This record gives sequence, structure tokens and C-alpha cells, in this order.
Amino acid sequence: MTGTLSHLLLAPWQEGFFVKAMLGGCLIAMVSGVVGCLVVLRRMAFLGDALSHAMIAGVAGGYLFMKVLFGVEAHAPAMLVGSLIAAVLTVMCIGFVARVARIKEDTAIGVMYTGVFAGGVVLVSVFKHVIHIDLMHFIMGDVLAIATADLWAAALAASVVTATIILFFRAFQITSFDPVMAAAIGFPVVLIDYALTVCVSLVVVSAVSMVGVILVVGLLITPAATAYLLSDRLERMMVLAALFGVSSVVLGLYVSVWLDTAGGGAVMLVCTLQFLLALVLAPKYGMLARRLRLARMVPQQLAEDILIELLKAEDATGSPDAPGTPGIPETPGAHAAPLTPEQLATALAAHPRDAHSRDAHVRAMPPRTAMRRMAGQGLLLLDSGQVRLTEAGRTEATRIRRAHRLWESWLDHLGEPADALHQKAQALEHVHSPEALDYLDDMLLHPDTDPHGEPIPRDPAHFAADARIPLSLLRAGDCGTVQCAGRACPAGLVPGTSVEVLPRLDHGRTWQLRLPDGTVRTFDHAQADAVLLEQVSLAEDRAAPPASPPGKPVR
Amino acid sequence: MSHNAGPYAIEVEHLTVSYGPSPALLDVTVRIEPGLLAGVIGPNGGGKSTFIKAVLGFVKPDLGRVRILGQPVEKTKGLVAYVPQRGAVDWDFPITVEQVAMMGRYGRIPWWKDPGRQDKDLVHQALAMVRMEDFRHRQIGQLSGGQQQRVFMARALAQGAEVLLLDEPFAGVDAATERAILDVLSRARAAGKTLVVVHHDLATAAEYFDRLILIKQRCYGYGPPEAVLQEELLSEVYEGKLRLFGAPAGGGA
Repeated sequence: MTGTLSHLLLAPWQEGFFVKAMLGGCLIAMVSGVVGCLVVLRRMAFLGDALSHAMIAGVAGGYLFMKVLFGVEAHAPAMLVGSLIAAVLTVMCIGFVARVARIKEDTAIGVMYTGVFAGGVVLVSVFKHVIHIDLMHFIMGDVLAIATADLWAAALAASVVTATIILFFRAFQITSFDPVMAAAIGFPVVLIDYALTVCVSLVVVSAVSMVGVILVVGLLITPAATAYLLSDRLERMMVLAALFGVSSVVLGLYVSVWLDTAGGGAVMLVCTLQFLLALVLAPKYGMLARRLRLARMVPQQLAEDILIELLKAEDATGSPDAPGTPGIPETPGAHAAPLTPEQLATALAAHPRDAHSRDAHVRAMPPRTAMRRMAGQGLLLLDSGQVRLTEAGRTEATRIRRAHRLWESWLDHLGEPADALHQKAQALEHVHSPEALDYLDDMLLHPDTDPHGEPIPRDPAHFAADARIPLSLLRAGDCGTVQCAGRACPAGLVPGTSVEVLPRLDHGRTWQLRLPDGTVRTFDHAQADAVLLEQVSLAEDRAAPPASPPGKPVR
Repeated sequence: MSHNAGPYAIEVEHLTVSYGPSPALLDVTVRIEPGLLAGVIGPNGGGKSTFIKAVLGFVKPDLGRVRILGQPVEKTKGLVAYVPQRGAVDWDFPITVEQVAMMGRYGRIPWWKDPGRQDKDLVHQALAMVRMEDFRHRQIGQLSGGQQQRVFMARALAQGAEVLLLDEPFAGVDAATERAILDVLSRARAAGKTLVVVHHDLATAAEYFDRLILIKQRCYGYGPPEAVLQEELLSEVYEGKLRLFGAPAGGGA
């Protein structure tokens, strides 16, 4: 058995063609992988295709030139130079066509490269008694029939291109990532683009004789694409792409010898299989990893329902500051009301599940699993068979309660019957972007309570320590200093005055401020939006921690 | 680079730029003092991005000149940094936070050398300034919108730029992120940088910026926000397309 294996592995090396194929193939695959990374990142994949096809015109041109002028048959260097010239000219033509007319670049590429390719084919056919090129060989390639001259060409191309990429790595990196920035700090962006085109041409030209026009693009793109799924840094991507290129050549050549298939085909097949494996299995960007991440995510609705149920439980069992207060996070120690997971699961069963929600395709997650995951995110504490909110969880829960109560108020405002409010709001509370809630709040004249008389928690984001807060967002008992941000203060308020907010009048349409001298000023909604207050202390902040002395008398 | 060569961070004089018979910019003269946070406002197609390109030295003016800290803009490579719009960046590019910031140093590192101690120190300082040190090995696509913006700020700071040009940094971010970005901008300003920000939201313009530049081909106003946000000026520039202005926070139900 071991004998058979070693025979399988070693026997091919006794054939000169196999050694040459290995050498040349690995060289080309390595350098294709490295250059291919830049091609992939710059979305130039189609360009590799174009270059390889355009080559035939260059090969024919170079052949004809040497034959006619010097009588030399199949002069390899001339054909190489001819291919390069054809490749670069094609790229310039593509750029030109894309610039001068409404034709987009991808179309220009398609038009130009097939045109140049067709020109080459016609040229070869017309001069078929002069040019002895096998078109089939050119299109399909034959890595197992590699000539020594091709091997040298490949070695030369590989070293020139690899050296260029390593030496000018930063230039290629920055012009691929952010050409605007590159130009701004003085990189010759156009020159670098052309250098890359020449590099790609060199690689393509030296690879065509081995794998043929059709597969050369695969060798350029596929190892790079495989590496792209596995790396977060360009230099690593290049190393990996080179490795994948080499490994597909090695494996592919064995396969082709064992099964007696075309060399190029076997190599590309292995290359593609590698890609498919990475596509499924890549630890971060693979399909499986993505699936797993989605499955681990607690669906938004479920997470929010859990939070709100726990917050309700806290209220119900008389934590020190139960219902009456707006839910700015309370003092720790208020963890009075843990539920058991079973109680929580029962409570959750009553929540409506929106069939149209974007979580609908995710399989239903058992509440237990969700709780564990949420504990992992620091939202819950799970211990000795009980569930509680953490401080972060309470903040989040309060945000959702604000959403729920604002939606209830909004539905009421739109004339929904009172008995339907809660159910509908429970579905709507999952819409809680700050912008949406601020809009509702504003349209509802910044209500303090919902239709059931429950307080609507305020959004802590509005009340950062150094924020200037519009009077319209403040409630009775809040204090602050007037600051109108360059605008004229309404009703003759003087910036710098300390004021206290009084209860509103006219069903909330009129705001009132008490000045230090005891006079009271009134403001409509627009004016209340324009009066900004600094150093605001909120009524509930002063009331909640019993120890802290109130800065001002609370109403 | 000495500051006393010219008192202005950005000096744009009689700048006219055209791509055809109608000019993108016509006789724009703006002088921005160092250490300010300036907002560029104006309608779409009004020449805001041409103005930014001119300050970057990317356009050849038909007439006029641009000076950065007293130097002609062509001679100040690296003094001006550009922070691209979020939509203009390939966030899947295999590159880490630290590597993006290091790009700020690329203009100063000779091609045959690796980044040195000093470059690395400057990058770390820049990342610390925008509070992104903890994320320095993250791939840039694995960040929130505000964090992504801050990475590019760090790159501009590592570049040692004195003038930072930001293209719509507040586009498509939520209110909390907007605050965080603004905080980073203020810190850069406190460090003496001059910041020019393309901005589309007139409602926040007065609050965010020290100076506003109102551009629609011509410069309709440059100065403190209250001087520029004049109703008659704005209605002239926006030609009645500006319904929101006048009642900044809605008028109630």
C-alpha cells in the first residue's frame, strides 16, 4: 500500500515534462496569485480576460515581424514583447473608448478585447503559411508540454513582477484602496496603474502557453478570491493566494497524470474546488460562519420582549422607585424583582409575533437560549434559577418602554380605540430608532404620560451633561441656565439666567419658566424649541438617590 | 512648516474653475484662519466638491489661486488631508485600522524603507486621539459607522496635516454617532488643526461650526453661522427649495 502511494507520488517526477510543468506551473501560479489580489481588489477581473485574448494579436505581430525582417522562426522574445505591446495598447484603447463616449468601461472592455482577439485570429489565418502557431494550443494551453524557453520566460516574468510588487507594495496598496488620498500625498497614481497593467500583462503572457487563454484568468483570480475569504490584511492575502496557486498546480498536475487529463483543466478544477471549500468553510467570511452568526443572534423582537417583561416585573414588585418615575436608570440595589425563566417564558407567550418582521425567517429561538445569549451580552444576570436586568439591560429596556408608550400615545392621537392601543403598540415598539421616536415625541407635543397615565421615560441621549437642551424636552421640576446659541432668546429671556420649569398649561401647549425673581414666562411650542438650557438638572435625577441633596427646591 | 508665513490656514482668492461654459466656481474668495471648524454648505451641484478639490490642489483653476498656510497649494503635499465620504470607501478591503492610519505616513516614507519608530508612534498617537487604539487590529469593515469615520480622521492626523477636509462625515449616521464624530472634530480643532467639512444639514450647521461657507458657484457668504444663515441669503441660494428652514424643530401637531 505504501509502495503504491509512493509510486503514485514519485513516479511522475521521472518524466522531464512533469518536472518542467511543476516548476513552470508553480512559478506562474505563485506570481498570478500575488498580482491577482490587486486585480480582485480593484475589480479588474475582466481586464485579465481582455489581456489574455488581446495577446494573440501581439504574438502574431511579433512572429510576423521577426520572420519578415530577420527570417527568424517563432522568436520567443519578440512574441513576448509583441504580446505586451498588444496588451497595453488594448488597455489604452479601453480607457479611450470609455472616456470619449457614453460607453461604460465594462462594455468598452468587451468590445475592444474581442476585436483585438479577432484581429489576431484573422492575422494568424491569413499568414498561416508564414506563421506556424497552433491556435488550439494558444486557446487551451498545455502545461505538460511546456518548452524550456517558456520556462525561462516564466521565471523572468515571475521575478520581475514579484520584485516590483514587494518593492512598491505600499504604492500598490494605497492606490488600490484610496487613489484620491494617494494622489493628494504625491503618489504618481496613473504611473502605478500602468505598472500594474504591465505586471498583469507579463503574468498573463507567460501563463498562456501553459494553461491557455481561457484558464489564465482563473489562475489570476481564483486563488486571490480564495485568499480574500480568509484574510484581513493585503500582505497575508497575497501570501495565501500564492500558496493556493501553488497547491492547485501541484495537486492538479498529479490529478492530470493519474487520470490522464488535460493539465490546465485539472489545475483549474483543483483551484476552483479550493475556492468552493473556502466559500463554505472560511472561519469569518464563509457561508457556514455567516449562518452560525445569524443563528446565534437573538431575534430583535424576542430580545426586546424579554427586556420589557423584566422591567415590568421590577415595577410590579415595588422596587424603591416603582411605576411613578420616568425610567432613567435607577440606583443599583433595585434588583428586587427577579423572575424565574419559566415565568418569563409564560409572559413572553402573550406577545404578538409579527410575521412580517425581518426576523421571521430566523427559526424561533427558545426563550431559554435567548436569555443565555443575552446574559452573555451583559443585558441579563442569570443565577440560581432567576433572571434579572443588569444596568445596561435596564437602560435598553427603558428605551423600549419609551418607544411603547410613545407609540400608544401616537395611536391614541390617531384615534385608535383605547382597547387596541396596547396590542398594536406592542408590535410597533420594535420600531425605535431615535429619529422616529423624536418625531413622534415632537408631533405629540412632548407628552409626559401615555394615554393610560403611565410616565413616558425620557431618552437619556438628549440629556448629556454638556448638552444644550431645548425647553420643549424639559418637564416640570427641571432646572437649568438659559442659553440661546446665538439666536435671540424669545420673550426677552437673558442668557445666563437660572430658571425652573413649571407644569405646562393648555393641555401641554404652553410651557412655563420661573425666573429667579419669581416671575413666570410662557412659551408656545416653537418658542420652547428655541429656548436652550445648559447645566440642566432633571427632576427625577435629584429625586431618585435619596442621599444627594437637592440643588433646588423640587416642586 | 511655519505658520507665520501666512496668517491663513486656507486662502482662496478669486478662484474660478470651469468644466465648460458655465463655471463650477466663479470668483470665490475665502480666507479661513487656523484652528477653526468650518462648514461648506450649498445646494447639490453648487460646487462644494469642486471647492474641496481645489483646496486639495486637484483642479487647475482658470483664474485665481489657493494657498495653504501661505504656500501655494501645489507645493503643500501632505499639509492637507482628505477624509472621504463613507460611501467612497471599499470597506471589504483587507486592511486593518492601524494600516489605514499608517497610510497617512506613506507620503513621508521613502519607497525603499519600512515605516520607522517615529511613524509608528505618530500612528498610535493619532489612534489614541480618536479613541480607536483598542480596535487597531480590526479589519475596517468590522467597525460601526462612527468608528469608520474616526479611522480616517486618525489617518489625516497621522499624516501631520494642518488642514483636514471632510466630505459629508455626518451623512447616514445616527444622532449618537454624529455626536461622537463632532467630539473628535473638536479635539482636532483644539490641537490647532483647521477643519473644513462639507455638510448638508442646515438645521445643525449653526450648532456645529465656527464658520460657514455658503457656495453656489459663487461664494454667497463666509463668516460666523448667524451671519451666513440669513433667510434672504438662503432663499436666494436654494431658490425656494428650502422648505424646512425657519422652523428648525417642527411646528407641532
